[in-house]
Amino acid sequence: MSRRTLLLRLLFKAAWVRKDRALTALISVGVVATIATAALTVYSNLEGTLGREFRSFGANVVVKPRSASLTAEQLRRLQEQASAGSRSVPVAYVIATGPGDTRVVVGGTELRNFREMNSWWSMRQDAGMTGTALLGSKAAQQLAPTGGAFELTLGDKHIQLSPAAVFTSGSEDDSRIYLDAGDFQKLTGAGWQMWLMQVEGGPREIHEAVSKMRSAVPEAEVEPVRRITQTQTAVVGKTRAVVLASSIIVVILIMLSMAATFTSSVLERRKDFAVMKALGASNRTVNFMFAAEAAFLAIAGSAAGFLLGSGIAFWIGKVNFDAAILPQPALLLPVLLASVALALVASTAPLRLLQRIQPAGILRGE
Amino acid sequence: MFLRLLFESFRRQKRRKTVALLAIALGMSIATAMIAVGTDIGDRINQELRGLGANLLITPVEDTLEVNVGDMNLKPAGEGAYIPESSLAKIKGIFWEHNIKGYAPFLSAQESFSAGDRTFKAELIGTYFAQPLHYGKQEFTTGVRTVNPWWTVEGEWPEDYATWPQNEGQPPAVLAGSKLAQQSGLGVGDQVEIAGRKLRISGVLNTGGPEDQAIVAPLHIVQTILHLPNAVHRVTVSALTKPEDAFARKDPDKMSPAVRDRWYCSPYANSIAFQIREVLPNVRVEQIRQVEQNQGKVLSRVSGLMLLLTLAALLAAALAVSAAMAATILERRQEVGLMKSLGAGNAAVAGLFLTEAGFLALAGGLIGFVAGSVLAHRIGQSVFGSAIVVHPVVLAVVLFAAVLVTFVGSVGAVRKAMQFDPAVVLRGDA
Repeated sequence: MSRRTLLLRLLFKAAWVRKDRALTALISVGVVATIATAALTVYSNLEGTLGREFRSFGANVVVKPRSASLTAEQLRRLQEQASAGSRSVPVAYVIATGPGDTRVVVGGTELRNFREMNSWWSMRQDAGMTGTALLGSKAAQQLAPTGGAFELTLGDKHIQLSPAAVFTSGSEDDSRIYLDAGDFQKLTGAGWQMWLMQVEGGPREIHEAVSKMRSAVPEAEVEPVRRITQTQTAVVGKTRAVVLASSIIVVILIMLSMAATFTSSVLERRKDFAVMKALGASNRTVNFMFAAEAAFLAIAGSAAGFLLGSGIAFWIGKVNFDAAILPQPALLLPVLLASVALALVASTAPLRLLQRIQPAGILRGE
Repeated sequence: MFLRLLFESFRRQKRRKTVALLAIALGMSIATAMIAVGTDIGDRINQELRGLGANLLITPVEDTLEVNVGDMNLKPAGEGAYIPESSLAKIKGIFWEHNIKGYAPFLSAQESFSAGDRTFKAELIGTYFAQPLHYGKQEFTTGVRTVNPWWTVEGEWPEDYATWPQNEGQPPAVLAGSKLAQQSGLGVGDQVEIAGRKLRISGVLNTGGPEDQAIVAPLHIVQTILHLPNAVHRVTVSALTKPEDAFARKDPDKMSPAVRDRWYCSPYANSIAFQIREVLPNVRVEQIRQVEQNQGKVLSRVSGLMLLLTLAALLAAALAVSAAMAATILERRQEVGLMKSLGAGNAAVAGLFLTEAGFLALAGGLIGFVAGSVLAHRIGQSVFGSAIVVHPVVLAVVLFAAVLVTFVGSVGAVRKAMQFDPAVVLRGDA
């Protein structure tokens, strides 16, 4: 039997004969690797997944022309600067006169996109509402209390409108009427006054997009909606910090606990150690034997832990964010190396203690 | 005899016991810290979400339509209805008073200003900045500085004058919106005149909203200028609320008394709005849906995430503790063999081992609870700037969990150790 096969046989038998011991060690390493992988994967995805939740707050950037209106070309250049998945909606406002000389703010926009962007609006569509105008709840009360048609006047232009639906927003929009571009053109003939943009991504992407848009089209005034971007920064930042801090604590504590278990099980094997020494093995060989066994267990445990941890992170994404949190292959190597290093330290450190004692003494039971 | 065995086992196997104790304590400090952080995170993030500003809007019932577009407010100051300012403090008297983070009243009108030889038109907005108030025995401070935390000022915030200051040389301080200041060449220290009265600009306001084109002044100054004492147009309220669910949307008038009480005593935006309507007659209270509907979503995502991470951490801690317990017991199969060959029954052996495990669990749980509390405290300090206090109930939970987990870890190992033939174990063949 060659030295190599003997070594392999020793390693394999050591694990096989005491399956339960090998299994506890394997579980300890596996648990550390699992929790570290899961926490770090979630952490590195958090800015994207949690940032997406802020999409429902609507526009986070407002673009206004500095003078006149923006050309189609300028608009295209602006949109190019925003990250993929960003949306924009043009808006213009005029003040018109409704029935009974009520003054009302009329907004023109692309209704479908505008509604999508203001996803928090609660819509009410009464029977018989077949028109084209979206009425804010307060405006509806004053202009079309029965849901019927009404007339708007702007200067010498008139337009007959009937409501498509009534919305409640809890803001000044409730006093307004929104029309689709066609109707709005008929009433005013005016161009767009501003573009509401929703830049996809975390605080950093929004910030970058704003400065890129500013330099690409200096004729446009580009302002982030600070109320929303600031809160997004605060909430995402603090959540990330909490996840990171608690993950670090959990991983370190479990690592300590695992190291203690590992060390203790090596110390229990002092007889193995003594027998090897009595049979003429050098300190180096014994160290190597124990280290090889630990490394073998650590590699198997952490590989399994990486798979399981990635699975847990994916599941958390599915359950909590309705989005996939994909495994981070870049984490595999650090997790593997850290587990092996930890197992090596935990298994060879106690050997140094044993080396001070004579093998004969251990065998006699001292 | 049993007690002696127990005592000697602890005295003679100090190393093994320390390792087991360490493992349990570490596992339980994870449990304590994660439970504390996980249960507290909702409140903390809710506080952060107040950065979105008010989530309730109070307007008079008999109001006319708002006519404001961007920087223009074309609604004449005398039109529409008002809410009496003096009754607003009652908002702090509702059932959920502690959830009201603050409120800010607004009174505004389009006015002409002159600065030197130039004149310009701008909206004049009156509000509280940080107005000290009291309701009953309660003292509190409220205004835009708490309700709209994204408002920033270059220069100084004005004070909230109770009446027009009599000192001629020092006209009342106001803020100029950043865009207005740029366009009209106004700066800190300049004076503007409106209707024969002088105002001093103490700071330039940046909000990223329509206020950037306005003059923002203390409420009582604006009331004096507009000759509308005690009047406000609208009030925004920032309240800590529970995310809306199906129950929250129900109509309280159609509920049975018991259900209605439960609805009334939950901090939903709807029930807080209902309570504000009870104390302020003739107002309409509406949730600002952009804030209220969406913040709940963010909040539940963050709390859900921490809940799942807490579960994963607890599971990991339980596994680590079980593995450690199993390892220490498995190494003691010779002891089991010796006891059995001396005539001990399975019950006696198991009893001894489990009692040992119980002691270790209680001690480890206690140490872990203390260490975990310190860790939770630290996380709170470093992330949120205020400590997370661990609820004493967590101690009971942690101790129970410690005993449970160590037993689960021990039972399997003890059974395994007892399966072997004592003679074989003692010979060292197993």
